[in-house]
Amino acid sequence: MAQLPNLDNGPVNLSNLREQAQRELGEVLDSMRGKKVLVLDPQLSGPLALIAQTSLLKEHGVENLYYVDADPVQTECKNVIYLVRPRIPLMKQIVAHIEQDNGRQLQKSYSVIFMPRRTIVCEKVLDEVKAVGNVTIREFPLYFIPFDEDVLSLELERSFKETKVDGDTSSLWYMARAITKLQELYGVIPNVKGKGKAASQVSDILLRMQREQAPPLPASAKPPEIDTLILIDRQVDMVTPMCSQLTYEGVIDEFIQINNGAVEVEPSVMGAPPSNNAQVSTKKVKVPLNSSDKLYREIRDLNFGVVGQVLRQKAVSIKQDYSDVTAADNQSISDVKDFVKKLNVLPEITRHVNIAQHLSKFTTKPTFLSRLSMEQTLVEGQNYDASFTYVEEMIHRQEPIESVLRLLILLSVTNNGLPKKHYDYLRRELLHSYGFEHMFTLSNLEKAGLLIKQEAKSNWQAVKKGINLVPEENDDINPSDIAYVFSGYAPLSIRLVQWALRGEWQQSEFLRLLPGATFERFEKNQEVNIIRRETVPSTDSVPGTDARRLVILVIFIGGVTFAEISALRFLESQEGMKYDFIIATTKLVNGTTLVKSLIDDPSAS
Amino acid sequence: MAISIAAEWEALYNRYYRKLEVYTMCWNGIDLSRHKVACARFGGPIAMVRDESKMVQLRAESARAKLLLFSASGKLLSSVPWDRPGGRLITLGWTDEEILLAVVHDGTVFQYNIHGELIPEQLSLGQECWDQGVADCIIWGSGLVVITEQNQLFSIPNLETKKVVKLADPHLEDPPHCMAVVEPQYTFSGKLEVLLAVGPSVLVVDEDNFQDQMVDFGPIQKMTLSSNGNFLACFTHDGRLLVVLTDFSKTLLEHTTESALPPEQLVWCGVDSVLLYWEEQLVMVGPYGDVVRFSYDEPIVLTPECDGVRILSNTYMEFLQRVPDSTVSIFKIGSTSPAAMLYDALEQFDKRSAKADENIRLISDKLPEAVGDCIDAAGHEFDISLQRTLLRAAAYGRAFCRKFDRDQFQDMCRTLRVLNAVRQFEIGIPLSIQQFKDLTAPVLVARLVNAHRHLLALRISEYLDLSKEVVLVHWACTKIIASSDVPDAILLDVLLEKLKVCPGISYATVAADAHRNGRQKLAALLLDYEPRASEQVPLLTSMGEEERALVKAIESGDTDLVYFSILHIWRQKPLPDFFRIIQAKSLARHLFVAYARQNDPEILKKFFISIGQLQSAAEVFLKESWSYSRNMGTRSGSALQGPRLKAIDQASELYAQTKEHMFEAKAAEEQGKLLKLQQELEISTGQPIFVDSSVSDTIRTLITLGNHRAAQRVKVDFKVPDKRYYWLKVFALATAKQWDALEKFSKERKPPIGYKPFVEACIEEEENQEALKYIVKLTNPEERAEAYARIGMVKEATEAAAQAKDNELLGRLRSTFGQNTPAGALFDSLRDRLSLT
Repeated sequence: MAQLPNLDNGPVNLSNLREQAQRELGEVLDSMRGKKVLVLDPQLSGPLALIAQTSLLKEHGVENLYYVDADPVQTECKNVIYLVRPRIPLMKQIVAHIEQDNGRQLQKSYSVIFMPRRTIVCEKVLDEVKAVGNVTIREFPLYFIPFDEDVLSLELERSFKETKVDGDTSSLWYMARAITKLQELYGVIPNVKGKGKAASQVSDILLRMQREQAPPLPASAKPPEIDTLILIDRQVDMVTPMCSQLTYEGVIDEFIQINNGAVEVEPSVMGAPPSNNAQVSTKKVKVPLNSSDKLYREIRDLNFGVVGQVLRQKAVSIKQDYSDVTAADNQSISDVKDFVKKLNVLPEITRHVNIAQHLSKFTTKPTFLSRLSMEQTLVEGQNYDASFTYVEEMIHRQEPIESVLRLLILLSVTNNGLPKKHYDYLRRELLHSYGFEHMFTLSNLEKAGLLIKQEAKSNWQAVKKGINLVPEENDDINPSDIAYVFSGYAPLSIRLVQWALRGEWQQSEFLRLLPGATFERFEKNQEVNIIRRETVPSTDSVPGTDARRLVILVIFIGGVTFAEISALRFLESQEGMKYDFIIATTKLVNGTTLVKSLIDDPSAS
Repeated sequence: MAISIAAEWEALYNRYYRKLEVYTMCWNGIDLSRHKVACARFGGPIAMVRDESKMVQLRAESARAKLLLFSASGKLLSSVPWDRPGGRLITLGWTDEEILLAVVHDGTVFQYNIHGELIPEQLSLGQECWDQGVADCIIWGSGLVVITEQNQLFSIPNLETKKVVKLADPHLEDPPHCMAVVEPQYTFSGKLEVLLAVGPSVLVVDEDNFQDQMVDFGPIQKMTLSSNGNFLACFTHDGRLLVVLTDFSKTLLEHTTESALPPEQLVWCGVDSVLLYWEEQLVMVGPYGDVVRFSYDEPIVLTPECDGVRILSNTYMEFLQRVPDSTVSIFKIGSTSPAAMLYDALEQFDKRSAKADENIRLISDKLPEAVGDCIDAAGHEFDISLQRTLLRAAAYGRAFCRKFDRDQFQDMCRTLRVLNAVRQFEIGIPLSIQQFKDLTAPVLVARLVNAHRHLLALRISEYLDLSKEVVLVHWACTKIIASSDVPDAILLDVLLEKLKVCPGISYATVAADAHRNGRQKLAALLLDYEPRASEQVPLLTSMGEEERALVKAIESGDTDLVYFSILHIWRQKPLPDFFRIIQAKSLARHLFVAYARQNDPEILKKFFISIGQLQSAAEVFLKESWSYSRNMGTRSGSALQGPRLKAIDQASELYAQTKEHMFEAKAAEEQGKLLKLQQELEISTGQPIFVDSSVSDTIRTLITLGNHRAAQRVKVDFKVPDKRYYWLKVFALATAKQWDALEKFSKERKPPIGYKPFVEACIEEEENQEALKYIVKLTNPEERAEAYARIGMVKEATEAAAQAKDNELLGRLRSTFGQNTPAGALFDSLRDRLSLT
């Protein structure tokens, strides 16, 4: 397993959170004595790798690791721990395993550990085997998984679909619980602002949880480390995730998918010589991508168009240093030492040169470029007919359905739906091209409001102008505005954050143009505020240095893209900005993964 | 104050013992000798029942025996008739939870709380024990063991699990001389061991077997284990007292007494001396065989505590303990310890004597130690004025210390206030400071609460920063039981008034208690104040208020709680009622649907139809149709598609019933039609490659196979637009490499999609020559430029681009060709030219 991301340098120290998770994981593993095997929910392997290394599992007696599968694990070990999300299909598999073991007279002990918590419907399924087998049920209350020093995610893949299509709001409760747990570590966040239905639901549950909790004894009340919580429902801004991300990290994600803070690529991409042994070469290389990689930290948020230049400059400067070192005889030892230090970044430069080169194969394709210009057209909302024809052609060419749906959603959202004639026509063309199983996909999209019949005029133009989504000038190289992350489109969601920080929130007229409630509340607890004032360091009186920066927790309910994270980091780095951001979400997404979660495969169980 | 406090101490070799009079018993006419008596440890209550085995003269009292419960100060807590069946009372004893156990001859164990109320649950040691009859019994804090008249041992080693264990049969003819118990926490095995004095030796009996310890100094008449389980005190038939290690490996003390008769009571005082009681005489034997005697002209009962022994007589409650070191250092006659000097300094100070200062100077460097000793000594005193004097001495000395831990002083004051409060006569819990520490404050609070001393318990909780919840909840439950005739509304106000002082208190616990006591309405009223839905919902459900439970669950936003309610209602109510309840609440409806979708699609159909949501029912049918495709063994068998088609038809019909879903109805109809068509195709072509592919894919497959007529038929049947048909056909022909057919197709008429797709299809198949045929037909110069570029015809591309006069396009083309190639140079020159114009 790869090294865990470094968490010490964030606006608040998130390593506490990870240490807590490691402790809790150790405890649940120890709850079953002796040697054991761990059978993992495949969805959990990635998130778990961000929490603990394999050695931790070994320390707690785990001899072997398996994944929950149709067949029971073949092991001599008498103790079996299942670590799973509370999902009914998994429960059915576990029940089948235990019954099979029982049929073979294998006397084993089973422990089913739910992450983050047990649910009644899952326990109901397990009840069938509880009578026959030695089954105990436990919880591993891991909610937020730290991905980087400023990024947290619940990694609930189906959160958006469940909330917006099925009306199952479980993930909202999880989010509220996760915030509550965060507040136990970092203090109660005094200011809360939010936009959208899911945001206000989370806020309500959160408030309720705070009320339910007995007030802590005065001694244990923590001064809040986080000043403001901004909750944003993904549904408020479905335009942004449908656009192609153009930051370095975003482009990586669009083309080679970042999963759990790492990408997997062919070894040839990373410059490995083609191997004679075919088997070895097929194994993909895992490259971790987080801020522990200093160079990546520097370039991840840049527009992809700039990354090549930056990398070239780095390489050139090393080359220059090298010739200096070799040319002059009077180099002091410390000069050489400095030079050698610089050489440490060489592997990182190589790594990113390789990745960037690989990506440029995709980004220079005419199809990609024409797609980008179509996205721009859609966001500007000026040329409906051209957009319609473009999407129609994509369907006729049977391009991958996810990429078709991304544009179709853009078309529908910016126009507040499609005229009935086009709506029915495109839906029929979709079903004919991709199969009637997509009846369910269409129904899901309709329920989520992403592909609908036009009933009223769109207010996209008003929104676009109201918060300047497409600024007149955009400079990808030396940006002065967040619009650089989409080369000309400033993500709506981040504009909302800017708006919230500026203080015009509930009163704002244009916010009413967007769906869902706009709300704002302050923690009335006076004590909390007093403590906060006291902790403001007074030593910062040196002129020119920053006064205390406030930490803002921005939570995207339903998913966030890397480009949006980059935009927030860009804001943070702007002069005169007195805020640091922590970004949290239900799932790190991009348009494709988001759309995929809405595609129902009816022939899978 | 006495002239010297130390004058009352008894020296025992190198240490001192003192006997403090804690209470003068406030009972009247109690004669301990007429009763079986049990005193609870940690200053707990006293229970007694008239001893039927003794000849007693009944004076002015009822002939019926009574169970009497007193506090340690002799205050009557309860008096109830002793009329339990099961034969004579063998032993009384208290558990750590302050439950009184009464073991009777047939092996039944009755349990009483400290209010003399019989706890309904009865314990019994089993049939075998019942048959044999109990001869003797030992009760300790968490268990008991009996020996029957046939010398069999039965035990309940853990009162929490209440499991009866029969120990190994020691094969005895006669009853043992005496018996002692090694509690499970002191044995190696973690299991109970019983020591039986048999002949000259001792048998150790446990669950599995027994073992003779091969001891020869017996017969032993009486034995007792020390409170730490390490030492055993034995009194032998020839009047010797021996102290041995519990495993009999070593004799630590042998002392010959003046009596050959065994003492009535043999008790450890702490872990270093043993008390023997014969009538009128109490003898204490120290670790080196030194002896102190006390005489008593009335019967006494000895109760061992962790740091001494409580001596109960008809008149007094006394506490015998080793004098603590700090106290010795201050009050020992002639002591010149720093603490003693400090204590003296305070006296001088009070007398306004300059000697006070002299004293302080003398001990200046040892002042912190002296202050610490004074604080510690204060803690060991029962006398409040002496506590105060010692604390004043400490405070006086502290003023001269540069650094002294404030907390130590404050903690002691705090502890003493609590101790003095519970030692009060009315409360009657004579805890020493050591006992208090062992017992812990929360347990003390729990004991007070059990004794219905709620106010004091609350004050102590507040004072020591403990949770008040335990006290208040217990109070509320007690109040509910005691107020059976108070109307709900009034009682509610009384309860709320008190409960509100503790935010976050569990109203649900109180409500549950009200519910158990038949106060349904009160329970419901109380539950409204419970903020935690996770507490509210299960209780409301068990109270039969399922719908309210559901509302509360939904309000909480906790989907798991909502499921709890839904599943409960589902089980309890007839289906139509269940549907009605679920339908009205959107979250409940959504969750039910999500659950049923995975577990029970049939009920989902019924549900949607019953609430008139036909399009949703149709979706369930449609989904069902797909589930058949999964299990299809062979696809060509037309019979197998039957159920699938039926499900699709049903879906289509259901969609058709609402006007808004005409599109879906039509689509489902088409889906059925396509399936039938594909089946036919599979039969006619003999290839199982059609079913489950889309309309477009079917057309493509047919064209690839060369079956243009069938493809045309699909186009007509499904009204496929020309544009799409062209795309499909162009790419299908290219895939099949039918270049002539492609060319012919391009000439049929002017393609509605232009020639670009033709170009693309050829390039994708890497047939640049074919592509060229269509590139020339492209009308848009930009498209032409890009197409040329893609097949590497730089010159033509440049020309076309120049024709388009598109600078941006040139730049892009240039980057595709790279910088240092001749092609790149060509672009550069062109661009320069363009920008000039």
